[in-house]
Amino acid sequence: MPVWLREYSWRQTSTAVYLSLPLRGVRVTPANIFCTDQYLKVSVPPFLFEAILFAPIDDTNSTAKIGNGAIFFTLYKKEVSMWDSLTLPNAGKEKLQYLRENAVLKAHEKAKEETEAKKVTKQEHKKYALEATMKLEEAERTRIEDLKEKVRLKVTKELELWDKQQKEAEKLKRLQKEGELYQGGDQVKEKKKEKMNKARIPNEGTSKTRLKPTQGCHGSYSMFSEGLKEEQLPAPRSAATIKISFTSRVFPTALRESRVAEEEEWLRKQAEARRTVSADLSELEDLKEEEKNPDWLKDKGNKMFATGNYLAAVSAYNLAVRLNNKLPILYLNRAACHLKLRNLHKAIEDCSKALELLTPPVPDNENARVKAYVRRGTAFCQLELYAEGLQDYEAALKIDPKNETVEKDAEKIRHLIQGTSQDS
Amino acid sequence: MSSSGLERPQVVAHVQQALNYTLFDCKWVPRSARLLCLGSAARGTGLIQLYELSGGRLALLREIEKAKPIKCGTFGATSLQQRYLATGDFGGNLNIWNLEAPEIPVYSVKGHKEIINSIDGVGGLGIGEGAPEIVTGSRDGDVKVWDPRQKDTPVANMEPLQGESKRDCWTVAFGNAYNQEERVVCAGYDNGDIKLFDLKTMSLRWDTNIKNGVCSVEFDRKDVNMNKLVATSLEGKFHVFDMRTQHPTKGFASVSEKAQKSTIWQVRHLPQNRDIFMTSGGAGSLHLWKYEYPAQRSKKDSEGAEMGVAGSLSLLQNVTLSTQPISCLDWSPDKKGLCVCGAFDQTVRVLIVTKLNKV
Repeated sequence: MPVWLREYSWRQTSTAVYLSLPLRGVRVTPANIFCTDQYLKVSVPPFLFEAILFAPIDDTNSTAKIGNGAIFFTLYKKEVSMWDSLTLPNAGKEKLQYLRENAVLKAHEKAKEETEAKKVTKQEHKKYALEATMKLEEAERTRIEDLKEKVRLKVTKELELWDKQQKEAEKLKRLQKEGELYQGGDQVKEKKKEKMNKARIPNEGTSKTRLKPTQGCHGSYSMFSEGLKEEQLPAPRSAATIKISFTSRVFPTALRESRVAEEEEWLRKQAEARRTVSADLSELEDLKEEEKNPDWLKDKGNKMFATGNYLAAVSAYNLAVRLNNKLPILYLNRAACHLKLRNLHKAIEDCSKALELLTPPVPDNENARVKAYVRRGTAFCQLELYAEGLQDYEAALKIDPKNETVEKDAEKIRHLIQGTSQDS
Repeated sequence: MSSSGLERPQVVAHVQQALNYTLFDCKWVPRSARLLCLGSAARGTGLIQLYELSGGRLALLREIEKAKPIKCGTFGATSLQQRYLATGDFGGNLNIWNLEAPEIPVYSVKGHKEIINSIDGVGGLGIGEGAPEIVTGSRDGDVKVWDPRQKDTPVANMEPLQGESKRDCWTVAFGNAYNQEERVVCAGYDNGDIKLFDLKTMSLRWDTNIKNGVCSVEFDRKDVNMNKLVATSLEGKFHVFDMRTQHPTKGFASVSEKAQKSTIWQVRHLPQNRDIFMTSGGAGSLHLWKYEYPAQRSKKDSEGAEMGVAGSLSLLQNVTLSTQPISCLDWSPDKKGLCVCGAFDQTVRVLIVTKLNKV
């Protein structure tokens, strides 16, 4: 239960109320004072002072002075009048409650408004600062533009001057020439003849025909200056050819067409493939040294394929793949064996695996890729999946358009497809 | 920062003209304020347009239409009075036109089986000595030198050996024409080969490969003892070779620079100062470079053979004018700093580069 403070003294003028509230022995801070326009509360636990004021006051301008064991309030009245008493009489409990709540709400609103106002002023300040900097930059820019413009104007003027000079010079020249023409008419003609003769003699020796003589149609002034020079011109060069060859490159494409990155990747993959030796040595311990070499196994497999021993070839390739599963050639050859053995699905699998390993597509592995496509195509056709087969044949043709057997087979398949579609 | 920036040469865009055809080459007409634009119209015919720079605009003076699109042109082999234009077109034809009477060419030959990619002329315009000659480089791998006085057959032909695969020749340039006999042709190919042919001895003088296709080669001066050669290529690289000293095995010394990520389409040296050149890039940018010579241009290697020493490059300015590649560039031989460039966004721009005197 708070201790109500009832001792207070007050006096008033027509515009203000002065209230003095003694509070001994406790520290009062501004947070303890709560004031709205008709409600005043001071709460310093355990003390409590509360007053519903007689008339509204201007709470923003009113002040409270804390010190000397008392709070001294200066409350400015909203309306000029003399109050009968400080507090409202007949203040019922409900009224009190209502006023209290109201007061709190009002205080909240005020606080909100204040923050809003602060925000707005802050924004304005920022805007102002921004505009100021923009103006400065604008000024700088216009200054530079002006300088540039000045330079441009100066230069344009110079150009016009030069232009005029050119035209005048040309005019003068023309007048001069005409003047001279009229004056020395006959002399000119004679001189012309002389020069023509002189010019012809050195050229008679050569067998080249002279194209349209340029002196004739252009008037005599060209003769004056050019005639002498014509004499001194050497005869046209005797024709000769220089044969040249172009720089060869490791990959015969110019840098802009080169797929150097891809080719290097391919080379790297090859190198890696040769280096990898897969695990599983436990089973292979009883194999001889040479039987662990995938290349040797590949050769063995090839030999067996050649003699027709396809099963043995397959097993050789299988072992080789177990040792090193990154060599596309093994899969290719195994696919060929499977084709012969009519294990068509396995053949298709192997071709696909080989093609996977043969990326990126570069001129180096063209042959291998053609083989892979052709073998897979054959397998598809033997399974009567002609559409897929044709696809593969066409891919092979794309890589190697000049291969006639592939061309012929592709044609055959197309006919077959057309034949079956006609039937159905 | 800005003040020192403004001390460097500035590239000022003077005039811009939108065209309704694809522009492949643009050239100043010597001794005048006129320029030529060569290109291909949408209907597949060739166009030559003659503009005059007057006031702040380009005024169209003449428009000439020809059967095949025109890829490249040069005034290099014609006299100053005649000012005939030599062009190479998409059909492999070399034509020399008199722009006053352009209906029939002054000289015409079907020089190549495929498009003529590049053309250069020497011996005309009062520069250099010797007979005027034109060299063309084509997609069929041949480089042919023509004399306008000789019909139908070239005076020199650089072609691949029988059975060799052909590489497109993308660019050609004349050089070393300091007296009547000496002349050299440099050709760049799409596989990065640069070959130097000596026309006096009719032999291959030097051969190298810069890995990326060569878009443009140019000597700094055609009419002096060969001094420097700039070769630009794809992927933003270009090389500057010092051509004064040829080592028997190592060839010419070079310095290379990678300026931009895109193809460098053209290089052109300033006619008034041979150490300044401009490169144009595939991103629509132009870079202005200056070459500085080393303290000693040649030194002896371990066996006592003379070896060249390459200098250094400094970027004077760069500017981005367009979003499309700038495929052609030409400096005016009469006004220092005036240049024209054409880009694939169908605009031709006349630019002025300032402060070149102070560089």
